[in-house]
Amino acid sequence: MIAGCALWVLAVSAAVAKPPDLSGVWLPDVADQSRQETQNIPPWKPEVRSQIQRMIADEDAGHPFLVLNHCLPYGMPSWMLITHNAFELLVTPGRITMLGEVDGNRMRRIYMDGRPHPADPDLTLHGHSIGRWVGDTLVVDTTAVAPQAYIAISEATGIPNNGDMHIVERIHLTAPDVMADDLEITAPKVLTRTWKTTRLFRRYPSRHFEITEGECAQEDLVAGKDKFGNDVFIDNPQNADGSVRPVK
Amino acid sequence: MITRVRMPRKLFASLVGGVTLALAGAAFGHHSGAAYDFNHMAIMEATVKQVNWTNPHITFVVEKDVKAGEPASTWVFEVSSPGVLTRSGWTKRSLQPGDHATFRYAPLRSGTAGGFLREVTLANGQKLTFSFTPSG
Repeated sequence: MIAGCALWVLAVSAAVAKPPDLSGVWLPDVADQSRQETQNIPPWKPEVRSQIQRMIADEDAGHPFLVLNHCLPYGMPSWMLITHNAFELLVTPGRITMLGEVDGNRMRRIYMDGRPHPADPDLTLHGHSIGRWVGDTLVVDTTAVAPQAYIAISEATGIPNNGDMHIVERIHLTAPDVMADDLEITAPKVLTRTWKTTRLFRRYPSRHFEITEGECAQEDLVAGKDKFGNDVFIDNPQNADGSVRPVK
Repeated sequence: MITRVRMPRKLFASLVGGVTLALAGAAFGHHSGAAYDFNHMAIMEATVKQVNWTNPHITFVVEKDVKAGEPASTWVFEVSSPGVLTRSGWTKRSLQPGDHATFRYAPLRSGTAGGFLREVTLANGQKLTFSFTPSG
């Protein structure tokens, strides 16, 4: 009897402690991103603010600054802040993985196995992320982000973090299929203080959405043949008209 | 950090006809739509010449219908990405070379022959458009 009660208590405790299931394909709330652009402006340092103001003026004039040039991944925190595309969140033992689309290698690994950040990390555009559950909230700590990774508030407005950035995210469900990512971005080279902002993502389980393969470079290529008749990609003649893209 | 350098394009100069050449040193990637004038949407009828179902943006090269007094012109319409359009019900075959359609677009502010596509009306009346989310 006592043993049975103990098992029941353990089972209930396990059920209560089980974290929410964040797996699935998540689409960003782009309209909310646009609202955030004007309603929650990062505390830019004065010398950065003048650069940002110039970018806003350039965008208003139809000559947007190309934050996402070179087909590189957006990196952190811009992926979470400004993406217009879906990502897939995979939950596997010891790790949460986020896979994106549109540009190559858009991927975040969030280690959930208790490891610390490496002492001498290789800097990457997505940084090194470790996570843990605090109640129903996934707390993710990210360091080792390459200094070239932008803090972007739109596709035409952003500044490289310039190094030493630290990001803390508190990811939680606000409804069964609505996920909030509360970000605290500390970037002492470009921000006067930690910037707090939230981004929203939604999943549509009945839609069976999948993310698509995303290779940014494909836009510059078209299917063709080499001299042996092999199927290869060749430069895309349509793209010789650079006018379709804003050229800085 | 890797910066891709694009190969010279002289091979394609003969293919692009009257389209202005603007060679670039690197891939542009995803970008703001600020070069397009969304306050002055325009409509044209045209025939699809080429479909580029690619990331980060899809492009359609079209031949604008020749009207009296106007020379023929090739336009490039840019639109969102394969992921977004697929989730909006498109496939890579929704619009194919040879299709004649009506295009609603935001023209390039520069005045050159390009625009950001918002809606296509096919010959059978079907409309193709897109949104980032099913509710939006």
